[in-house]
Amino acid sequence: MKEKNPGTEENKGSSRRTFFKQSSAIAALALTPVSIVKASEKGLDEKIASAFEKMPLRVEINSKAYSLEVEPRVTLLDLLREQLHLTGTKKGCDHGQCGACTVHVDGRRVNSCLTLAVTTEGKKVITIEGLAKGEELHPVQQAFIQFDGFQCGYCTPGQIMSAVCCIREGHANDPDQVREFMSGNICRCGAYSNIVDAVMHAKKGGQQI
Amino acid sequence: MGQFFEDPLDRVDGRLKVTGAARYFAEYDLPDMTFAVMATSAITRGKILTIDTKSAERAPGVLDVLTYLNMPSIPGWQSDPSKPAPQAALGGERYRVLGSDQILFNGQPIALVVADSLERAQYAASLIKATYQKASFETDLEKNKDKGQTVRGPRGADYNRGDANAYKTAAVQLEQEYTIPIETHNPMELHGIIASWKGNDSITVYAKTQGVKSTQQSLMNAFKLDQKNVQVFSEFVGGGFGMALRTWPQEILVAAAAKKIGRPVKLVMSRDQMFTMVGYRPFSIQQIKLGSTKEGQLTGLVHEALSQTSSYEDFAEGTVNMSKFMYACDNVATKYRIVPLDIGVPIWMRGPGEATGAFALETAMDEMAYKLNMDPIALRLKNYTETDPERNRPYSSKYVKEAYQLGAEKIGWFKRNPAPRSMKDGEWLVGYGMSSGVFNASRGEANCRAVVKDDGTLLLQSAASDIGPGTGTAMVQIAHEVLGYPVDKISFELGNSTFPPAPSQGGSTTTSTVGSAVHIACSSLKNKIVNLLLEKGGSDYAGKTAADFTFSDGNVRAGNVSVSIASLLKQQNLPALEVTENSKAGPDQQKYSMYSFSIHFAEVRVHPKTGVVRVKRVVTVADSGKIISPKTAASQMIGGVTGGIGMALMEESVIDHRYGRFINNNFADYHVPVSADIPHIDTIFIDKPDPVINPMGAKGMGEIALIGFAAAVGNAVYHATGKRIRELPITPDKLIE
Amino acid sequence: MNPFDYKRVTTLKDAISAVKPAASVFLAGGTNLIDLMKRGVTAPETLVDINNLPYNKIEKTATGIRIGAMVHNSDASEHPLVTENFPLLSLALKSGASPQLRNMATTGGNMNQRTRCGYFYDTTMPCNKRSPGSGCSAIGGYTRMHAIFGTSEQCIAVHPSDMCVGLAALDATVTISNGKSEKKILFTDYHRLPGTDPSKDNILQKGELITAVDIPFNKLAKNAYYLKIRDRASYAFALVSVAAALDIQNGLIQSARLAMGGVAHKPWRLFEAENMLQGKRPTNDNFLSAANLAMTGAKSFGANQFKLKLAPNAILEALHLAAGKSAS
Repeated sequence: MKEKNPGTEENKGSSRRTFFKQSSAIAALALTPVSIVKASEKGLDEKIASAFEKMPLRVEINSKAYSLEVEPRVTLLDLLREQLHLTGTKKGCDHGQCGACTVHVDGRRVNSCLTLAVTTEGKKVITIEGLAKGEELHPVQQAFIQFDGFQCGYCTPGQIMSAVCCIREGHANDPDQVREFMSGNICRCGAYSNIVDAVMHAKKGGQQI
Repeated sequence: MGQFFEDPLDRVDGRLKVTGAARYFAEYDLPDMTFAVMATSAITRGKILTIDTKSAERAPGVLDVLTYLNMPSIPGWQSDPSKPAPQAALGGERYRVLGSDQILFNGQPIALVVADSLERAQYAASLIKATYQKASFETDLEKNKDKGQTVRGPRGADYNRGDANAYKTAAVQLEQEYTIPIETHNPMELHGIIASWKGNDSITVYAKTQGVKSTQQSLMNAFKLDQKNVQVFSEFVGGGFGMALRTWPQEILVAAAAKKIGRPVKLVMSRDQMFTMVGYRPFSIQQIKLGSTKEGQLTGLVHEALSQTSSYEDFAEGTVNMSKFMYACDNVATKYRIVPLDIGVPIWMRGPGEATGAFALETAMDEMAYKLNMDPIALRLKNYTETDPERNRPYSSKYVKEAYQLGAEKIGWFKRNPAPRSMKDGEWLVGYGMSSGVFNASRGEANCRAVVKDDGTLLLQSAASDIGPGTGTAMVQIAHEVLGYPVDKISFELGNSTFPPAPSQGGSTTTSTVGSAVHIACSSLKNKIVNLLLEKGGSDYAGKTAADFTFSDGNVRAGNVSVSIASLLKQQNLPALEVTENSKAGPDQQKYSMYSFSIHFAEVRVHPKTGVVRVKRVVTVADSGKIISPKTAASQMIGGVTGGIGMALMEESVIDHRYGRFINNNFADYHVPVSADIPHIDTIFIDKPDPVINPMGAKGMGEIALIGFAAAVGNAVYHATGKRIRELPITPDKLIE
Repeated sequence: MNPFDYKRVTTLKDAISAVKPAASVFLAGGTNLIDLMKRGVTAPETLVDINNLPYNKIEKTATGIRIGAMVHNSDASEHPLVTENFPLLSLALKSGASPQLRNMATTGGNMNQRTRCGYFYDTTMPCNKRSPGSGCSAIGGYTRMHAIFGTSEQCIAVHPSDMCVGLAALDATVTISNGKSEKKILFTDYHRLPGTDPSKDNILQKGELITAVDIPFNKLAKNAYYLKIRDRASYAFALVSVAAALDIQNGLIQSARLAMGGVAHKPWRLFEAENMLQGKRPTNDNFLSAANLAMTGAKSFGANQFKLKLAPNAILEALHLAAGKSAS
């Protein structure tokens, strides 16, 4: 294992994982019948396993700094939903095909289901929970309520996060452009025409988006 | 109560939904939560020879691996000797999840892995290896057309009125076949459940369900539990469209796993599993045979439908219903047959069978109109009926003539050149099409608890469910109308099995059924308040009668005296006044046929060289009684139209019949409309109360929004191109010239 | 997903050495790789995150523009050097995927995007691309999305990228580094046909990295169009797409560029049709001849038969749109 910059997090992370792979403890764990593993001290082996599987991650989410330990295979979406309980971000397909998981990473809208959490090291993530200013809704959130841009509400956080960027990117100049640049967010209830109205309204409202 | 349902109220749960605060089933965090992932069969039919779970069991974090070899027995699945054995499915099989080594459909669960994290459960599930003995199988309805069987019970009975052969001697005849592929509900929220036990006899679940009481009953049956020991929560549901109308076997499996390991278990299915395990709109092949006089009077109508079910469970729906009563015709015959195939069982999908049937009938009507050289609306008007020809009784209300008129005017129907392929916009061909939809309107039984408190609020509770149409918003509107409370002082709670019982949300019945219960409960509270004032209100109310009292803005007024209900309660030292009322349809409703109607218009552009179809404009008119909540009702209509555009132009779940597996089981390949596919949609409501159905005069609209719409698109494509596409979806390959 | 190592690199040298072990792969935008890992199609043991490599610029060079391998698709589609000089590429980029995915996907990553063939994605079915020698399930199966050009008995999958169709048409070259030296190859030579080894999509070798794509200046900016025919209006892979660009001077086509997507295992450049158009007038007849010529050797497999008709129609339509007038 190359150790060019000892002490940097990425190398620390990988070396820990390498140790994990080579460690006799874990090799033994893999070969032990499950009954014996279960009979061993509750959770100890698995705590060892997870400690070596994980990497440090420092990320700012909704203006709050997090210092976390995550497995490299954990997606940003699953980190948000299952570990941080920021469940406003939704899982609709888990494969980048629906947009329900849309969040902002360093100001860009991305699919959090295809974003490994570890790749957000040092970045700023905004989720639907971080959009309003306290009790005051973001103009796009307000417009979605006003124009009834949703029904079941499940795709809504992704739609709104996407809509905010759609406007900021300059892709909300007319309804057809909004349609095209909001097409990465599927709404199965079929609220699209109201969503387009909401986005156009928010854009024309002149408020800071 | 001044105005009658005039305020366009914003969705009452809107703020929760736009801030991400609305919690769906998978978002409840319980202590010691565990995560379940299913491994599924790679074959379509046969049996498991070996199943190797060792690596999965040894993978980090794995708590348990269930297969048919160690699946705990489900008490309710053991046959009860005191009860008659249930009739075997037409396919002759029985399916119990992880119940045996038998594989009955591709993608059937063969193991459930439970681990302490989602990632670990997913990885461990990928380590499970099975070998199989394959058996031959059938998944293709088109290759098994001759195996149609009659469905047991009234749904499956053949229908005959007059002479079934009358169409054969008509002056103008039409015989055509219409095919609709499997469509998959694909609500945005993935299906699943969280199950958590307290001891061995008490369970709480957070479910994705269209009926908390129905889920409760399923769990009571499966585990032989008392009602009080089964709690089901389902406050927010991320779409259902029918697929959450039953408790699927894998939900019981998760409950069994949770009981076994003694920790809460959460299952969130994957999108590909949404194609195999939670139902679909079945593949259908329909024949319509029409006979007409030269003047357009229908003299014969035959509608025969063939559909599919699974080998282990029968599924039937109302595919041929509309043909029995929509048009005046003396000679009508319908047949409905199903073929058991080696695939999971279907379930109602929005509009269900009626949407399937309406595509065939309403396309055939368009074809007949062109054969007769008649306007499609004129043909429908020619065969218009004011009484239900199937049951020989009046409609409770029907304003369909008005709906034709309003829709036609709005889209400019009569300004079009009716000749096929006569209109152009650049090199795009322009076409207009229309169609009708109809669905049973009914009022079921429901209960509602209503509480006015001394803080000035009104609380309503009912064990209803909401998959998105805006149930809470409509209920708040109804309570506001009856009791005059400001809408922001009213809360309606649902999705909790401990609330007074209400039926599942399906078949466009919630507003009528639960709304009536809300109406009655609020009326009952009103009486209580009036009686309280008459009995204890003192001299101000001497000589008054109930008719003298009016309610508005949280106050009750009699003559010149007005008092707020909150202060009345305080005066009387009552923290709250509470009622729980039951509501059901009365004998009056039996005297009428009650239906909601929709009339759809679509304008399309078709590019003849590339076969691309774009829906340019839509007008949809609903005759669904009084509109309770105009905003959410309009949303339901545009949602139905969007679903209809999907059905018409792109939706198709494809099975590779060599393998029996779905080949496009994801959101990239199973196309549902995206924003760019959907134009502005004009919704028009007749908005006249039905005098019979319920106190609000409201009929349902969830189904009619979609029923028939695909035919409007297909008819518009015909008008544009002169090409009649009878096999959905109308994809570019079918139109390229 | 299987557990894996994750390494972040900031230099080319580190990237190349980190990817040397057999089961190590580069992670760029991840829009395809993570998807494939979730489906179990691929299970690398190490991901080498190259997002911090310094190939994230679009620059003007003496002869054209250079797009760094790490430039995101959305940024490339909006960059003035691209929109002004190569509107065809901008259109192609914008017709791919969704705004979110374009924000993640990179130039180099998009070039290495795997096919969308459903049989490649379903690990229970035979697929020579995923599991060499197991057979091709697509042949005889559901072929609606599949290739009509350059197929083999082993594979009829198509390359799914739109960007690559644009780059193929624009005479781009690819710069590939192995950490020690660089090589430049024509974009049209980067992707390969399936032949007897469909597991290889392109000529990139283990231990090599794409660092940039160069596009030479041309006179095709005024008359260019990217036409994508798909089953819905957006966010769908192409049934057929056509990149068409014409240099029209004094009513004559000085030179033409044509490439297709959705029809082959690689972006399908139509050299013969281009040559035929050179020196001709931009008329419907000439466009039609070019479209028909382009179809030489096309072969369908069941459900994709419609592409034999759609492809020439789309070429014709794209040529008309590029020429700036409608076909009728």
